[in-house]
Amino acid sequence: MGTKAEKSKEKQFEEALEMMEAAFPYAKEMYQADALQAAARVMDEEDGMQTLYKYADRFEEAGLFLNGPWAEPSKLLPHLVQGSLRAGGMTPIVEILSDVRMLALAKGDHKREEMSAEEAKRFLHEVMALNIDTLFPEETEAARIEGNEKEKKRAERLFQFLANELSLEAASGALVREIDDLVAQRPIMVNRTVKMIEDAKQLLDSGIDSKEKKAIELYARAISHPTELSRDHGFKEYKETLRKLGNKDLKQEAEMFAKSMRDTGLVSGHHTILIRYLNRKKPEVLPTALGLNAKGKANLEEHFSIVNKLINVAIHPALKQTVYGLACMLERGVLSSAPVIPGLNRLIELDLQPDVRKVLLSSINGNEGITANDILVAGTICVLGQPLGVGQGMNPTCQTARGISLWSLHAPGYLLELIPRAARDGDVDVMFEGQMIHSKELRKGLVEDLHEELDPVSLVLVPHLDKIYGELVRLVKFRGEDVHKWVNPAFYGDWVSNGFSSAIDPMTGSVADYTGFVRLFYSTHHPDYNEGYELIYPNPVGIFITTPTGDLLGLHAVSIQRIAKDKNGEYRVYFYNPNNDGAQDWGQGIEPTVSGNKEIPGESSLPFHEFTARLYAFHYNPYEQGDAFAVDDETVRDIEQVAKESWGKTYTWVEI
Amino acid sequence: MYKLRSGPVSVNHNKRKENTKIALIGWGLPSMEAMQRVNRDFIVVSLPEFEPYAKKHEIPFIAWDFGKEPTYEEVYERSAKLHDRLREMNVDHAVPIFEETVEWAGALNTRFREEPGLFDHAILFRDKAMMKRRAHMGGLNVGVFEEAGNREDVRRFFKRINQAQLRRHQKEADPVHVKAFNKAGASGHRMIMSEEDIDKKLSDSHFPSLVESHLPGLEISCEAFVHNGKVQFLNVTEYIVFGYSMMVPPTKRVEKLRPQIREEVQKVVDAFNIEYGVIHPEFFIADDQKLYFGEVAYRLPGGHIFDLMKKTYGFDPYQAHLLCCDPNTTKEELEGLFPDETKANGHAGSFLVYPKKNFISKVNVPQELEDHDYFEKHTLFKPAVNKIDSNQEGYGNHLGTVFFYGEDDETVKQLLQDYVDHDFFQ
Repeated sequence: MGTKAEKSKEKQFEEALEMMEAAFPYAKEMYQADALQAAARVMDEEDGMQTLYKYADRFEEAGLFLNGPWAEPSKLLPHLVQGSLRAGGMTPIVEILSDVRMLALAKGDHKREEMSAEEAKRFLHEVMALNIDTLFPEETEAARIEGNEKEKKRAERLFQFLANELSLEAASGALVREIDDLVAQRPIMVNRTVKMIEDAKQLLDSGIDSKEKKAIELYARAISHPTELSRDHGFKEYKETLRKLGNKDLKQEAEMFAKSMRDTGLVSGHHTILIRYLNRKKPEVLPTALGLNAKGKANLEEHFSIVNKLINVAIHPALKQTVYGLACMLERGVLSSAPVIPGLNRLIELDLQPDVRKVLLSSINGNEGITANDILVAGTICVLGQPLGVGQGMNPTCQTARGISLWSLHAPGYLLELIPRAARDGDVDVMFEGQMIHSKELRKGLVEDLHEELDPVSLVLVPHLDKIYGELVRLVKFRGEDVHKWVNPAFYGDWVSNGFSSAIDPMTGSVADYTGFVRLFYSTHHPDYNEGYELIYPNPVGIFITTPTGDLLGLHAVSIQRIAKDKNGEYRVYFYNPNNDGAQDWGQGIEPTVSGNKEIPGESSLPFHEFTARLYAFHYNPYEQGDAFAVDDETVRDIEQVAKESWGKTYTWVEI
Repeated sequence: MYKLRSGPVSVNHNKRKENTKIALIGWGLPSMEAMQRVNRDFIVVSLPEFEPYAKKHEIPFIAWDFGKEPTYEEVYERSAKLHDRLREMNVDHAVPIFEETVEWAGALNTRFREEPGLFDHAILFRDKAMMKRRAHMGGLNVGVFEEAGNREDVRRFFKRINQAQLRRHQKEADPVHVKAFNKAGASGHRMIMSEEDIDKKLSDSHFPSLVESHLPGLEISCEAFVHNGKVQFLNVTEYIVFGYSMMVPPTKRVEKLRPQIREEVQKVVDAFNIEYGVIHPEFFIADDQKLYFGEVAYRLPGGHIFDLMKKTYGFDPYQAHLLCCDPNTTKEELEGLFPDETKANGHAGSFLVYPKKNFISKVNVPQELEDHDYFEKHTLFKPAVNKIDSNQEGYGNHLGTVFFYGEDDETVKQLLQDYVDHDFFQ
């Protein structure tokens, strides 16, 4: 086939691009496949990305992205890039061209009204931060077999090119910010954090900013060896070395471990060796090694015998995060709640269902010499210590995660009843309007295939709770009002108030009396209008999740934890978001923060009016209500405006 | 024009007025583009969902709901309103873009030219039984066929065919085919291999339909560009795997038969009284190289055949189609339009990719396919929706196409067979 070989790949692409440019606007899409294939052939050449970049300012006008999700660069999301690059077929080709176009925007070689160079740069920095592993590819056999070699090479070339054209420094800044945000929330599951830290380590030798370098080093040490002694020794030797340490050195070692753990919420494997050693030989140093405050110390002293036992059972290198969970649990003082100690004791020797045993054991690597009960106890310690660190993982089970978090906070005894019911009996039951609902009798929940990257307690409980939640929804579906009005109090328990209001009228699916909805929320929740009633138990509310451009993504369950003034004296809503992705951009300048505004680890927060503008449904106590009319008209109007211009575009608005 | 004589009555296909517009019935971007290239005024008549796109790109457009499987009488009746609107816009000729719009174009042209025969003429191409009868009378070889109203009709036909073939005492019966009267491609087609199949594969919803004897052999389609009743250009397409892949021009084995094929195609043109446009007949070539008529469509073909022709013959078939459809096209305009049909540059093939699962998340194109010298391009994207509607007729809607192009006919043919069982989606 002479013609193909004679012309250079670049020439072929140029011709295909010109063909598209010449086509009538409505007919451009017919030529897309040719142009994209020609582009793919250029990508397979060593300096293919540079070649394509020369034409990047012409891509959009020619119609390469026409009628697809890439048409509007300002609507693209950095975290979706990786998925597109691995989707196969034409998708990764368009994705690469889109990113090359983004680079042209970032460098000012291409201009668009809706996207500034700065925004394009920020987008690419984030994309790079999220794809460090492609930037520094591992040449393993497993990685090779997994995907299409050609596609992988193209992606690697793209990131090489981006790294050369943009600074790795900025990408490392974005990466460190991502890690900071994750760490600030102190999640129980740290797999994602650890993976990002491992990725970030690769940046250390690439001449990045010293501030970021320091941060990455700190994190890297926290997950491996926070002290010099631990750096130089494996677990076994380290234990031997500890024996030889004098009291002063031992205390210093303990202090350093505690500091690293407190700074990052991350635990090193050596820390578990230290804790186990101290537990046996020098219990008086334990408070130091856990970095306990006065309350924690008092609790440890009071309940030393059970703590001693728990450390033996649940603190192992494979379950290292339990050290942090234990420290937090002691400081919360839950051991003083009567049912907790017997509840924990029961778990240690509980007879587990075979499938529960299996799923627990598969959550760690084999050959650790740890039992499924050890894992369950460790998980329970973490949930009791970090109620706001419970996450839904990759599952659509926000309601269930919210329940586990709420019970850990306010009903640890109840939680410790649920766990053995599920783990030993394979059943959880809930009473609803005089009728007993058993999870073992139900077939289907909301989630079909549980993604098992979850904490041990969730692994045991979610399958049951999810089914019960689904059944409750089914039972009240046709009552003509939002199902959560009945489902939430039945599911979570009496801590949820019976008053309920929703922005959406379930009969018509339209937004009805929105201003009334806003006024009611203010008069029941805003301290300036609700006669000073304080929120006592978390309030399970529904919110509209929106994209950075304010478009509706879907409904999501969070819990309002408290409402308080921030450091500027402005009221904020502090809420628990079970997706552990607290720092997000919801558009219209609404960006929840996870730190810096007096958040407790695990909380997200927003100014009161911004949170209201994304609120979809909430519970309230009808006996604790202020004057709705007192709420400022302008505030209500502003909120309505923001709502109408974002998620509200998807709904019909009805005035009453 | 009517003469009292036996045999088919011919209809008047002439003559349009000058400076009038053509209506394209159905949404086809390449045809619109071709219209603009040959500087013909046109209007697109298609479903309302295309209206925003048409508006955005300033494409002259009339939104029209063709309805769900209307009867031919309904089509004729409802076409009155559409005709009035088009006439107001100075349209006096309609060209169908899809199989389902053939009768609409026929009804409109009947009204434009006040020539009642034109609508019946269009229906000839929509009713497979009527079509075969006409071909038979026109001297073409056809299989044995009947109209079947229920399963019992099929059973009787199946038995009679096998009896005639002396197959009553054989282990394997000769198959028969049940086809919908008016569907394109593989949809509505059932192959009956045994009496059990009649109950297993057919339901009441399949009737009335055509039932016909099995024609063994290679299947080809022809795209004949006709102007003034003469075949100006003949393309022959070889069906490599029925419903999946095709190749233009065909392998040498078939190419050798071009003179015979041309003869048969001219028979179709004469038998069906074709003056202007493109016809798309299908033939079976039996082992003794005899050609059997399968069916014929009076419209441009699907399955990317025009794109394959464009690649190998280097001309724009869409443009040629429209020029041939227009009785006002002059001799000068036609001159130099068509290349030599015996001199193609290489062989081009297309392979349609169908979903094999109901849930897909990733495209999976084999590396050796993409690395092959003859691989040209594919159009496989990860679908925006992972769930595929499994309840579809025929093979379902194809999700994309793989194109091959190369010098050697057998190599292209092999590639077009190799991936039938490969799942392009994971």
